[in-house]
Amino acid sequence: MTTQNPLLSVKDVIIGIPHRRRETLIIVNKANFDVSSGEMVGIVGESGSGKTMVCRAIIGTLERRGATVLEGEVLFDGHDLAKINEAQWKKLRGKSIGYVPQSALAGPNPVLTIEAQLTEALRNTGDTKNIKARSKELLDLVKIRRVDTVMKQYPYQLSGGMRQRVMIACALATSPKLLIADEPTTGLDVTVQSQIMELLKEIRSSMGTSIILISHDLALIDDVCDKVVVMHAGATVEVGTVKDLENPLHPYTVALNSSRIDVAAPGSELVTILGSAPSVGQWQAGCRFSLRCGLVQPDCSVGEHPALIGARGSHQTACLHADRLKGAGAR
Amino acid sequence: MSDFLLEARNVSVTFGSGSTKVEAVKNVSLTLSAGEPIGIVGESGSGKSTLARVLAGLQPPTEGEIYFNGQPVYNGAKSYTGEARRQVQMVFQDPYGSLNPQLTGLSAVAEAVRIHDKCDKKESEVRALELLKRMGIAQLDALKKPRQLSGGQRQRVSVARALSANPTVLLADEPTSAIDQSAQAQLLNLFRGLLNDGLAIVMVSHDLGVIRYLTKRVYVMKDGVFVESGVTEEIFNDPREDYTKLLLASIPGHLGTAARKKLHG
Repeated sequence: MTTQNPLLSVKDVIIGIPHRRRETLIIVNKANFDVSSGEMVGIVGESGSGKTMVCRAIIGTLERRGATVLEGEVLFDGHDLAKINEAQWKKLRGKSIGYVPQSALAGPNPVLTIEAQLTEALRNTGDTKNIKARSKELLDLVKIRRVDTVMKQYPYQLSGGMRQRVMIACALATSPKLLIADEPTTGLDVTVQSQIMELLKEIRSSMGTSIILISHDLALIDDVCDKVVVMHAGATVEVGTVKDLENPLHPYTVALNSSRIDVAAPGSELVTILGSAPSVGQWQAGCRFSLRCGLVQPDCSVGEHPALIGARGSHQTACLHADRLKGAGAR
Repeated sequence: MSDFLLEARNVSVTFGSGSTKVEAVKNVSLTLSAGEPIGIVGESGSGKSTLARVLAGLQPPTEGEIYFNGQPVYNGAKSYTGEARRQVQMVFQDPYGSLNPQLTGLSAVAEAVRIHDKCDKKESEVRALELLKRMGIAQLDALKKPRQLSGGQRQRVSVARALSANPTVLLADEPTSAIDQSAQAQLLNLFRGLLNDGLAIVMVSHDLGVIRYLTKRVYVMKDGVFVESGVTEEIFNDPREDYTKLLLASIPGHLGTAARKKLHG
């Protein structure tokens, strides 16, 4: 029940991608969540659940994949990002919204020195003064030591963790209001992962940046985020605070929680989710989790995918029978 | 003669020479009893994968020797010979790169069965189907090529292929790092079943959650040496080395929270 408007509001977003002969394949239907100023929000879901596509809608790179937002609104700071043109995007992308891509190792341009990459990012702000000093400040900010040496180095000379820090520095060059980190630590060691997470938390508290962290690791999201958005087969199925999600209201979240290895007793039977996520284009009627759900009822497999129940900003679920779950998924 | 099924004695592995010389593994010793699950944990570059390759018979040690049932297995050769070669099998990290993209899961496993059992095609396919079924791959999926399978399914095909030799030791090098959480749970359930059937498992991983869940003893590796080793539960509850403490504190979620409290007081 916030009276203040959230910084980002994704409302009933449907994303389609052209498929054979003028057919449109729906890949996201529907995404719904808010990000408030200074909030850290985690998006979880299996591969193919549409989490990256929603983020592409927020940074305006959907068109490069041929996809478009067919319905719904992506409200950011007074703009509807679903409706603006490329010229307007140029004013926003990389300025108010920063993006840290998934592959730390392939992220930075391999033939440019770190200094050149930071210079490019800083020129983008329109302020071309003191670029060298500002580059160094950015590297300081992401806790890189030996700044002068690193400035002259090429990405191949840096470790995975360092490269990801450089990517974060580039994304922060324009002091964005929102930073999107798409699986920023996949492929990195656990120790490096925890350092990057600490860094994101510090950036949030020192600069007040809102952060969206995409991950399939619930444990990681638990540690650093305020709020969690759970996606399954292109739809937001549950939204709540980390605390709310301890008592999940959607059977998919319950299943995700119970397959977590950090809470299982050594050698005990791990709970697995039945079957696999339905492929795009083969979604069944009604709730798209119904075929994998142990609590399925007759009314689950008819009509549209259930909409989120509950007020925006509260603990929301897209399960018609959430009352059956009370207490069942507590961990 | 020996109490151990597999044993590494003072093994070192060195790559290159002169200024480019890299000592990947430095004088490590390790034991594995029949039916025992052990873990080797460390970060990238710690030498754990190199050690796994040595144990699997794919990389001769520069110094030291591997013993299988008390018998030296390399004896100066480039790979294992004789019985050890069949009895020690490996599952690799990358489920996308370790299966032949042209072969269906069934033919990949049947081929391995034919090599080890010298049986005809029909019989090998029957046995392969059985193995795949045990790994939760139904006939319909067994006839698919790797690109049509999910990462978790591919990894289970790889395990079925490793099992076709009827091994006594299964080496798994980060088998769960490229697959998502639910598929990981499925694979670990299967490994637990294999342990119940008496297989010994060496789990190589940087994921301490997996190590804690599956193994009874663990070796913590850093820069080519074991910095700490012992009973998994004891190491998780009471790590001695600073490096082990740091590793534990880095695990996301509940496991790490307790370790972080200890580390930061």
